[in-house]
Amino acid sequence: MIKQSVIENVLEAALSTGGDFSEVFIEDKFVNECTLLSGKIEQSISGRDFGIGIRIFSGLQSIYTYTNDFSEEGLLAAAKRAALAIKGGATGTIQPLKKEIITPVHNIIILPNSVAHARKATIMRKANDIARNYDERISQVKVRYLDDEQHVLIANSEGKFVEDTRIYSRLTIQATASEGKETQTGSYGPGAHAGFEFIENLDLEHYAGEAARIAVTMLHADECPSGKFPVIIDNEFGGVIFHEACGHGLEATAVAKNNSVFANRLGEKVAPDIVTYIDDGTLPKEWGSLNIDDEGEKTRKNILIENGILKGYLIDKFNARRMNAEPTGSSRRQSYRFNPTSRMTNTFIAPGTSTPDEIIASTEYGIYAKYMGGGQVNPSTGDYNFAAMEAYIVKDGKIDHPVRGATLIGNGAKTLQLVDRVGNNLAHGAGMCGSISGSLPVNVGQPMIRVSEMTVGGTKGE
Amino acid sequence: MNIAEYQEKLLDQAIEAGFTETEVYFERKSSFQCMLYEGQIDSYETSEDGGLSLRGLHNGKMGYAYTEKLDDDSISFLINSVKANADVLDEDEGIDIFEGNNEYTPHEFYNEELESIGIPEKIELLLLIEQKIRAYDSRIVTLDYCFLQEYTTERSLANSKNLSLSHKENGLVIYLSTVVKEGEELKTGSYLKMTRDFHSLNADEIAKAAAEEALANLGEKSIPSGKYPIILRSDATASLLSTFMPILSAENAQKDQSLLKGKVGQKVASDALTLLNAPFHPEALSGASFDGEGVATKEQAIILDGTLQTLLHNRKTAKKEGCKTSGHAHKDSYKSTLSIAPQNLYISPGNRSQEELIALVSEGVLITELAGLHSGTNTVSGDFSVAAKGFHIQDGKIASPVKQMTIAGNFFKFLNTIEEISSELFFLPDGYGSPSLLVKELSVTVE
Repeated sequence: MIKQSVIENVLEAALSTGGDFSEVFIEDKFVNECTLLSGKIEQSISGRDFGIGIRIFSGLQSIYTYTNDFSEEGLLAAAKRAALAIKGGATGTIQPLKKEIITPVHNIIILPNSVAHARKATIMRKANDIARNYDERISQVKVRYLDDEQHVLIANSEGKFVEDTRIYSRLTIQATASEGKETQTGSYGPGAHAGFEFIENLDLEHYAGEAARIAVTMLHADECPSGKFPVIIDNEFGGVIFHEACGHGLEATAVAKNNSVFANRLGEKVAPDIVTYIDDGTLPKEWGSLNIDDEGEKTRKNILIENGILKGYLIDKFNARRMNAEPTGSSRRQSYRFNPTSRMTNTFIAPGTSTPDEIIASTEYGIYAKYMGGGQVNPSTGDYNFAAMEAYIVKDGKIDHPVRGATLIGNGAKTLQLVDRVGNNLAHGAGMCGSISGSLPVNVGQPMIRVSEMTVGGTKGE
Repeated sequence: MNIAEYQEKLLDQAIEAGFTETEVYFERKSSFQCMLYEGQIDSYETSEDGGLSLRGLHNGKMGYAYTEKLDDDSISFLINSVKANADVLDEDEGIDIFEGNNEYTPHEFYNEELESIGIPEKIELLLLIEQKIRAYDSRIVTLDYCFLQEYTTERSLANSKNLSLSHKENGLVIYLSTVVKEGEELKTGSYLKMTRDFHSLNADEIAKAAAEEALANLGEKSIPSGKYPIILRSDATASLLSTFMPILSAENAQKDQSLLKGKVGQKVASDALTLLNAPFHPEALSGASFDGEGVATKEQAIILDGTLQTLLHNRKTAKKEGCKTSGHAHKDSYKSTLSIAPQNLYISPGNRSQEELIALVSEGVLITELAGLHSGTNTVSGDFSVAAKGFHIQDGKIASPVKQMTIAGNFFKFLNTIEEISSELFFLPDGYGSPSLLVKELSVTVE
């Protein structure tokens, strides 16, 4: 993308004021986005994102600059401008760049950019038809198609020089059901680190059908009661609860400065024995997977909690300095516009031994959250909140009736201690995670789990 | 490459390639931001970036594409992509490129002095604020965010109908999050300040406000869950308003995605509520004299004394209803297609202070922060159930902070149950503003 000699000059210029590490991240990304609404393809946009991020470390100080100016003069000026933030030291030296060849794990069969728009539109229409035909009360369907082809080149003053291409494909179906004054929505958004073959092989009957079914089911759902109940959270996207409640608190961003309830607690028991929590960026073709992270480190399987014992954190190069630890292949950024930091990839609770039927049958009264919406956490305190998209009351060991407007709140570290069942049906769901280094594709995952007590906020009162 | 030349070359080649009308939109931003951690610069960031988009009518349909790489290759990429994106659409938008208004309200969105003040002086101020916060009270542990950002943005819009408009703005934002601890109780409080006038920033005032915001959260108690009268503080109300803005979009109404469809001229809120669109409001950092299509913007009431005056229109939605655009076409950036959004939307302040509103409540809850707005709200039905932080009000006074809560209700009902509006107006950086509101009741669930 940019000549190696130019990159070397930029890495050197960045160290001219005494920095001890410099890095160049070059990104060239092509995106296609298409929206179907009211039965019609109504929006379609393509674009090319291109820019360069330059990072310098000086001890525990990190300097970042980015630009779309790809001329050598422009890049050198940016590097020097950034270097000015460091107060006078000797010029550092860089190691000769050694090109690293990576073996891609995610076999891409059809490059999305080679596929005509019409072929993408056909699948969107099919998803629309399935959702609309599900029930006459489906009043609106929105289908969004997205593909990304991101080329990255990462080089640093330690001699690293590595390139990678990441292909992402996603289809999101949102169905709205209406009857009288009632309106409810349901959605499903499968995505993968894969080519157009992923979109073509999607089980549209399942995904579009579920989006429609959720919307229709919620139409006549009762208002959710408020109070403290046992809560059963189903597999797949249900994992968003631990993503919020504990994943963010295990990122070095929070841990390095002791701004996490999990800081300085390695080796301590933070969860019941049945909980094992893993972040694995290597899973083939999964939405949150990467060959290398955005610092050029190979991704890996990081065991965060094993049988209830805190085993590790997600660590990037910069926070590794403060923590005196090794990076874990977890450094990510949305684009060249973001200084990278430790983030999750595919994070999940390992399967246990209970069957979903057993878990429900052993619950006298509680809430069953079949599909979760999004959530949020304050990593310093661990307080989280998230919304259930489809939920039910469980009564006498049976799923009783649907309820809506259920918001679950609590504290991550405390909730983790209250997990009392872990199912055997592990599955992953695709989501977008927003934090300081931008919005990133991540998978959340888990088998069905039960938390013995959670605070449920609803509209019905107690 | 010179931007004006590039724009011209692109417009010419697009017409040659068979587009009947085209428009080029360009955006350039430079920014500086820095984050401190315990007296040291933790991160320091500068940037100069931007991009350009092409919009064009091909066979009567409007296609879009953008690039951040301005070279000759990108011209053919843009032209081919715009064609492909136009061709895949199922219907023409029924809209053309705008030829321009006769007049645009002149307004200064850029303060030269702000940019001329050196970066070291801005960092000094942030260091001073951080130091003052940490020294403010022994219960203050640290700041988990101590952040300053300054930006300058330029936009220009040029089209084949000879319209050529440009806009330049700048601003400075300080965001602080203070961590406090007493015994085992750990709390945070966040504080946001934005301005174009650097000299208006007072380190003592900012430090005091940021520290008090966090300290106030210590000593939390639980209260019974149930329905309570609510005072929703200005900043929390502005974030709720921002989340529910889509209900005002004519496009959403036309697609049955807004319950305000067909309600223009009708009562949709309590008499106390007046909602204004103010592109030139002095207290907001955003705003512009032209919208995403190049239409002149104007001051206007969206809701006046509870009655809906207009929905937010762009030229396409206006044409569909046979009315005039209200000037609310919106382009988030060169990366987005046209959508609909206000330019500084705010609730008109009342006469009494927030304190006087609190004095009216014998038993209720003051909400100071909402979280989970992206997941706990349904803009179609108006239902919301979101996490909240706040205080218990007893006998007209703040009694104690309350444990983590959720508040739940319906936004349309909420609008109709506003009883009082305070005099303090607060704007978010994205241009949504509000005073504090007293509403009849919402469901509160306490952890």
